[in-house]
Amino acid sequence: MESILNILFSGVFHASTLFLVAAGLQVVFGVQKVFNLACGSFYALGAYVGIVVVKSFVAGGFPTPLFIVPLIGAGLLLGFIIGPIVERGLIKFVYGRDETFQLLLTFAIVMMIEDVIKFIWGTSPQTTGGIDLIYGRLNLFGATVPVYNLIVILCSLIIAALIGYILLSTKFGRIIRATAEKKEMGEALGINMKMVYIKVFTLGTVLGTLGGALVIPATAVVSEMGVELIVLAFAVVVIGGLGSMKGAFIGALAVGVLKSIAISTFPELEMLTIYIIVIAVLMIKPQGLFGGGKV
Amino acid sequence: MMSLKSTKAFILIVIGLLLLGFPLVASQYVSYLMLTFFAYAIMVLGLNLLFGYTGLLSFGHAFFMAVGAYTAAFLTGKFSILCMEVIIVIAVIISSALAALIGLVCVRYIKIYFAMLTLAFGMLFYSFLLKFYYLTGGDEGMRVLQPHLLGFNLSEIPKMQFLTGNYYFYCFFIFVLLVFVMWKIVSSPFGLCLKAIRDNPEKAEYLGINVKRYRWYAFIISGAYAAIGGVLLGSAIGHVDPGLTYWTHSGTLVFMTLLGGFGNFFGPLIGGAVYIFLQDKVMSLTTYWRFIFGAILAFLVIVAPGGIAGVISSLVKKEKSIE
Amino acid sequence: MAILSASDLRKYYREFCALDGVSFQINEGEFVSIIGPNGAGKTTLINVLTGLLTPNTGKVFYKDKEITGIGPEKLSKMGVARSFQLVNIFPNFTVLEFLMVSVVSRLGKGTNFYSSLLRDQKVTREALEVARLFGLDEKKEVLAKNLPQGDKKMLDVASAFALHPEVILLDEPTSGVSTSDKNKIMETLVSASKEIGIKSIIQVEHDMDIVFSFSDRIIALHQGKILSDSTPAEIEKNEEVVCTVVGQKECFKIFRTLMDRER
Repeated sequence: MESILNILFSGVFHASTLFLVAAGLQVVFGVQKVFNLACGSFYALGAYVGIVVVKSFVAGGFPTPLFIVPLIGAGLLLGFIIGPIVERGLIKFVYGRDETFQLLLTFAIVMMIEDVIKFIWGTSPQTTGGIDLIYGRLNLFGATVPVYNLIVILCSLIIAALIGYILLSTKFGRIIRATAEKKEMGEALGINMKMVYIKVFTLGTVLGTLGGALVIPATAVVSEMGVELIVLAFAVVVIGGLGSMKGAFIGALAVGVLKSIAISTFPELEMLTIYIIVIAVLMIKPQGLFGGGKV
Repeated sequence: MMSLKSTKAFILIVIGLLLLGFPLVASQYVSYLMLTFFAYAIMVLGLNLLFGYTGLLSFGHAFFMAVGAYTAAFLTGKFSILCMEVIIVIAVIISSALAALIGLVCVRYIKIYFAMLTLAFGMLFYSFLLKFYYLTGGDEGMRVLQPHLLGFNLSEIPKMQFLTGNYYFYCFFIFVLLVFVMWKIVSSPFGLCLKAIRDNPEKAEYLGINVKRYRWYAFIISGAYAAIGGVLLGSAIGHVDPGLTYWTHSGTLVFMTLLGGFGNFFGPLIGGAVYIFLQDKVMSLTTYWRFIFGAILAFLVIVAPGGIAGVISSLVKKEKSIE
Repeated sequence: MAILSASDLRKYYREFCALDGVSFQINEGEFVSIIGPNGAGKTTLINVLTGLLTPNTGKVFYKDKEITGIGPEKLSKMGVARSFQLVNIFPNFTVLEFLMVSVVSRLGKGTNFYSSLLRDQKVTREALEVARLFGLDEKKEVLAKNLPQGDKKMLDVASAFALHPEVILLDEPTSGVSTSDKNKIMETLVSASKEIGIKSIIQVEHDMDIVFSFSDRIIALHQGKILSDSTPAEIEKNEEVVCTVVGQKECFKIFRTLMDRER
């Protein structure tokens, strides 16, 4: 049994990448009311592309410790490219339609991306060969934490702060919050909703791909990771509350730490515990900790 | 010119006869595929009651199918209960009980939350099946031994012949029976209330319909249907594994329902048949069938949400207005 | 005998007070109109009376049973039905199917999942009967969403009537209807009520001609409080009430109508 601090740090690390994906999920749901099942697929894409980028970077003879720069860059770039394509190409056709149809469309995207990944990268797991350890480990309060993990946690915190800033202090953020509150607001205020939708969806996608990119130095990429992640992301959203950024943060922390605890204490019950908690939260407080609105 | 009603009846009888005579003309492989069709058709009939008629999209329908399938595996493998009828009845009892419990939780929610809750339950079962591998065989699954049909032990017959012969007809008759029962349900006052709940739950409430309770009933019936489908499928394949309850398998069931046309009685049956045979065809051409099917689903959602049945009925309407 | 009564109802939306101590009694056989300017709390009152909203304080009684906040489903089973200001229908149902829902619910056949609805003579007959009362029997196979607006409204109201309630609450039954048709609709409603055996009708209504022509009693609501609760004749005498409640323009119209009647 690992020390509690190790578990905690590991949990926070999981939570960081989970937060990014969940935040992407939340912002898209908040504005467009689309629950994007494909957020996990974007995460997976980010991971796969991340591996390619890291490997080429190292093979290209560049200084290895700098791998994190192109990694983040790739994660961002990928999202900026895919986001608008998926939004304009598919998602925009189902705005205003029944929520269940929107869900099904995102499911279709999941299926397609699954095979795109298979086509490009095959089905065997891939890793970066432990490149994250290049930063070494740190001894913090008696726990040994890979420095890379800390970097990722820091990145997520920065992004969380950025998101908070955008939401609270910029015009774009105000628009997001207004439309999340009342859908017709945006149009009523004469704002070009089309651009808003594209931007928001792209933001959500970028968060997803970035999350995937950041996680791969520390884990292996497997072809099912996108499909598995959605359930965790859903757990985060349920616990934190659908549509709430604060909820994504707290929910991610909760799920990340829970996952970590479960892995080291009762590995058999890892996912089981999470699902049970999801169901329990849904029964006791369906809006989650910070969510609002009808369920 | 025959009336619409007798045309429909005529078509049904012809299809029924075709299905009955299928094994005599088609190859063993195709007949085997038809077996899976019967099983899936029963499952989507149940899903359609929930989704098409009551308006609740479940992403965990495969859960009940897996319950049925694993029941068959347990009963035949661990308890040596080989009587098919008993297996089916027990599977229905177990899945109905589970549906009643899970339904109590789920029907309080609608739309996305309902979909995701059912997804969560399905995945809960998945992890359960994986983790308790000493009980369930883990990701290798369990075998389903060949059951006795109507009391007859037919294990001397070669497997493929059994499947495409005796078992085929058995499944066919169960299928027809269940279609008939579902038809009764859907055209009953209960069915009308379900449709009302789908169209406008608030108004239904005002007309004295206990919306939550009726959704619960629909949930239980759909679960029972899925379980029967699971028993038939498991017995046909001879093997069950946790993948049966993975959420994407539930997604497949929804896909089939949508493909054929949800809310339409025969839609899902058409959808099931098309999906199974199309998948078989596409899989033989490329391993990237998921991409193609994903694209089909996207197309369906965006352009033709009424599915195949929707397209057919709008064509029929066009013809009628031309006349 | 009091069939529906409200006792000291208060309802707040955050700081805004929608109902501020509303109490009244409706007796059997009465046709009561609730009037008041927009924002006076009329729809909130109906929502509270029909159990959709729970008041912060106060109670609602149906006969002698308390029904505060019991919810629409239980309420309609007890004998109280309502129609909606904004048409609330089952868009994909035919007129006949729509009315059959009410009949099925009333006859308790909702859980009957084994017998054929189409062959159920009783249900079909009773649904057709209601359709006839509302002039919709010719259109029985028309889909609700394809009906003209006025018919949709009638269908909504008819489905409430088909429940054979003892009390019916109508939320602006003639809104969106042209003035020439309003009287006809009201007469349809009144005669249908008699045929079905509805004991009391409560309506929220803006058109003062209708209100004064059909009501036994008028309750005037203003800023969440009852301004007056009296018969049309008594209100005529109380000018202040009328003008506050209906505004200047309507005021002239009313007194013109009343003066015309006196001639």
